[in-house]
Amino acid sequence: MNVSPRLFALVPAAVAINLVVGRVVAELGLPVYLDTLGTMLVAVLAGLSGGLIVGTLGQLLSGMLGGYFWLAFTPIQWLIALLVTVAARRGGFATPWRSVGWGILCGLACGMLSAPISYYIFGGVTSPGTTVVGAVLRTLGLPLSGAVAIASIGTDVLDKTAAFLVVGTLLRALPQRILGRFPLAARAVGK
Amino acid sequence: MTALARRAHPFTPGAITLAMMVLAVVLPAPRATIALLVGTALLGIVAGAGKGVRLGLAVAAPFWILLFVVHALLGADARIPAPWGGTYSPTGLAWALDQGSRLGAIIMASLVFAAEFDPHRFLQAAIARRWPFGLAFLVVATLDAAARFSEQARRLREAQRTRGLRVHGSLIIRARAIPALIFPLLLASITEADDHALALETRGLTMPGVRTAIDPPTDSFGDRLVRWTMLAVVVAAVIWRCTR
Repeated sequence: MNVSPRLFALVPAAVAINLVVGRVVAELGLPVYLDTLGTMLVAVLAGLSGGLIVGTLGQLLSGMLGGYFWLAFTPIQWLIALLVTVAARRGGFATPWRSVGWGILCGLACGMLSAPISYYIFGGVTSPGTTVVGAVLRTLGLPLSGAVAIASIGTDVLDKTAAFLVVGTLLRALPQRILGRFPLAARAVGK
Repeated sequence: MTALARRAHPFTPGAITLAMMVLAVVLPAPRATIALLVGTALLGIVAGAGKGVRLGLAVAAPFWILLFVVHALLGADARIPAPWGGTYSPTGLAWALDQGSRLGAIIMASLVFAAEFDPHRFLQAAIARRWPFGLAFLVVATLDAAARFSEQARRLREAQRTRGLRVHGSLIIRARAIPALIFPLLLASITEADDHALALETRGLTMPGVRTAIDPPTDSFGDRLVRWTMLAVVVAAVIWRCTR
């Protein structure tokens, strides 16, 4: 495995960010997860390969702490890394509105990928927040497949939009001397 | 007395965990998977990982409740009167039991393994086995970083609350707390990266060549026997499942 020392230093911190920020936000009881911030951050700073490593390692370690069945959602992390890298190359974090646009796009893509995983593998029962939304939609008369799809896409759009906004705000606030070390990040914010 | 799970070679609990997870998927539910769930919990208690068993139950319980609600209470199949009043779907209840026991066994195996996992013994064992050092280092460094950032997040939360940050109340009030709680963590991860990269480079992390383990854990005959037995059990279960 040919990994630069900087990536070796970034990856553990980013995976820890995924785990710890996810927990901090869960304690606040908000309808978002923000547990992919580390993956997004490394994808913007170090490119696709970094994001893929963080996403995979993050799923392995969160599986260790919450059950390895979460590994089924690893492709979502890969998709996030891919879309964030594309967004960074196209200056997707240059303004808050651009971040919102790319966040919605990423949320739609992730929701469409996670809905079949949730439905076919887990019968619609995954994270408590999404499952409760799905259960409420079931009581309104929607079939389980429809309820799972709407709940997955809805929560993912909200979550990824918030995550893109957070990462964009952070990148734009970084001093030039730090941003200069990460060419892709500088391109992402249009500098 | 050191727990059995801690004395074993680090690869042995990992092999048992992997085997339990494959069996949870392969074996027919619910009888065999419930037996597997109970067996994993008992094995965890005997091996001295009782904390992992308690955590496993705490993590699995919400899934069991949600499976029951979504499939038994809100199931779309034919419904019959329930003993507690109202109606339920027997097909949904059976599905919830099948899936709940499979997920429960996977969660239990994962958390029992995590409770007694020693990252530094694992790193020594991986070096002794000539595994890719970078990969083993990333696993161990990440676990260390997770513990460090958790502590940092806790201290940050206390400090910000002392300065008047509100983390309870309406959705907007709680959402406003996010930047104060997470931006310092995100910034720290970026600014520390260069210092850590320099430290890793000066220690020759990316240098090619074979590493020498300082204190490799003993891989006893018993450990090897357990690992090979687990492999044989998994292969037998897969063949049995495919041919029946």
